[in-house]
Amino acid sequence: MGSSAKTSHLGMKMMPYLAILEHDLRALWASRLVRLWLTATAVLTLFLAASNWTQFQDATLIASLLFPYLVFPWFFVVVVLGVSPVSGSRAEVLADGILSRPVSRTEYLLAAWSARVLLVLSVYLVVTVPTIALVVLAKRPVPDDAVTIFGIVSALAVVGLVLTFLVSLGFLMGTLLRKPLLAAVVLVFIWYPIGLILNVFSLEELSPISLSRAMSTQLRQSLREADTAPKSSVDAEQADAFARQVDHFLSVFSSPQPQPTATRPEFFEGGGFNDFSLLRVILGYGLPTLMAVALATLFFHLRDL
Amino acid sequence: MSTMPDADRIPAGPSAAQEPAVELAIRTEHLTKIYGQRLIAVNDMSLEVPRGSVFGLLGPNGAGKTTTLRLLLGLQRPTAGRAEVFGKRCGPNAIAVRSQIGYLATNPKMPGNLRPIEYLDLLGKLARLPQEVRKPRVSSLLRAVGLLGATDQRIQTFSTGMCTRLGIAASLMGDPPLLLWDEPTAGLDPSARRFTLDLIRELGKTKTIVVATHILSDIDQICDHLGVMHEGRMIFTGSVQEIQRRIRRDDVTLELEGDPENISRLAREVADLEGISARHSATRAVVVRIDDGRSRSRALAEVLQHVDACDLSLQAIHSGYNATENAYLQLLQEDEAHGFQR
Repeated sequence: MGSSAKTSHLGMKMMPYLAILEHDLRALWASRLVRLWLTATAVLTLFLAASNWTQFQDATLIASLLFPYLVFPWFFVVVVLGVSPVSGSRAEVLADGILSRPVSRTEYLLAAWSARVLLVLSVYLVVTVPTIALVVLAKRPVPDDAVTIFGIVSALAVVGLVLTFLVSLGFLMGTLLRKPLLAAVVLVFIWYPIGLILNVFSLEELSPISLSRAMSTQLRQSLREADTAPKSSVDAEQADAFARQVDHFLSVFSSPQPQPTATRPEFFEGGGFNDFSLLRVILGYGLPTLMAVALATLFFHLRDL
Repeated sequence: MSTMPDADRIPAGPSAAQEPAVELAIRTEHLTKIYGQRLIAVNDMSLEVPRGSVFGLLGPNGAGKTTTLRLLLGLQRPTAGRAEVFGKRCGPNAIAVRSQIGYLATNPKMPGNLRPIEYLDLLGKLARLPQEVRKPRVSSLLRAVGLLGATDQRIQTFSTGMCTRLGIAASLMGDPPLLLWDEPTAGLDPSARRFTLDLIRELGKTKTIVVATHILSDIDQICDHLGVMHEGRMIFTGSVQEIQRRIRRDDVTLELEGDPENISRLAREVADLEGISARHSATRAVVVRIDDGRSRSRALAEVLQHVDACDLSLQAIHSGYNATENAYLQLLQEDEAHGFQR
């Protein structure tokens, strides 16, 4: 009895969030942009799979399927989807129709953000997962590859995280700049030279190009390998690398950069990509994603409608 | 949808509103909104709206009416001052305040891809109404606003009048005790306008209603209290009777038939009478003003004798015609004339 009352109370509390989520998902699904994107991404994925069917091993082929989600044009579509909820003509509908009702701005923003992330991830997974399953399970005239379930899941998760970050970045820009077109253009100018920007902060391993190059290695990574590796040394190495990156990141803002000692091998040196760190990528994209959502919420809270 | 018995209604002016016994629906103190350090939309506005009143927020375009309503809803943040609805402070996350308010925007923008039932159901969910309350209310509201026949149409195909009707239903979805309706008759045809005014009269029996408008005839028909805004400031608040009392009621307009020369002659002759002034206002009308202290009936009798003498035929006689409009215009003129004293 108490449990049911509690559930009902929770249900009532979550009702506006779920209502906006459902409404936004339906509106997004009805949009031409999403349908075109779904069609285009399906066609491109099938084309890539078919054209490389007899040439690439599993890992290389799967990595080539994931590559378009990290670069133009899909990143642009994802960003545009993120920009829309609180800018342009939608802001009026929003003010008159939703935010004049008993809904908090935080509830609205979180629901709109969740809807966009869900939609983008759905489109991405609906197309890629069946194709990857086909690539792995089908008997193809190429040498066997050691692609693992863990590798596939982690590679999908990394790309999913990058897409979530892009939606959040678009979301933040849409909240800051009232004109969606301007926000999208600004994001293009930010995202295009992202490799260069990340290089300045010694974070080049997080750049989309680096991620896509490391994807084949990651796809062959097994969970056991990750577990059986000398954990303490891996952790220490990762912590050390992360600390160095943070130091470098801060030093760019605070003081002149020290002369590089160049004792450590460059990232991805030799094309082995063995020092790809899932943890650092998750932190590198996860933290900015959370920060973007938090900032968007803050700015939206301070904004007049 | 009853929220308050008639006995609780307080037909009070500002003096009564200051008494502690009067329950207030809205209260603002020095409410100010400045956009980007450039435009003062609401200027140091202190307002009290008694619970149960039908309050007309009157003012020319750009006077700050809509901004005031949006400040109450928390859609905008005040630059200074504060606003309260039923004793609760307004703000962007003030859900408790918005659950007490039904808002109708001017020509409301709604999600065009939805149908009326879907839209009202969404709003019911936003108001956290359980399904057993939500569904019957959607149906009864659509019937009440005459949109039952349009339930299979998408909102984007609706006319202005249909959108306003749906907006009215939307504002009533949560059964709020306070309605903020911004120009509810804008763009409506005569029958839709009549429907809206009748509805306000009906709802006014049980709810507090604030109607922002610049259409004075609407105010005359539905409101018992008034606030007049001009350039962001509230230049008058009080009952409709009080505002009408403010204008001179000694004007009488005579509508005449006859030679225009004779009408001009009548105006000159009447103006020569003691304690009476007159002017030829329109082609066939003379406005007669009777000074304080003179008997209106005797003065009028003298004027009517001159009408006969000038060989004119009296078609109609008006006294205090459209009093609210005159009072409103007089208030605006006075406010502009005060200059630095404002």
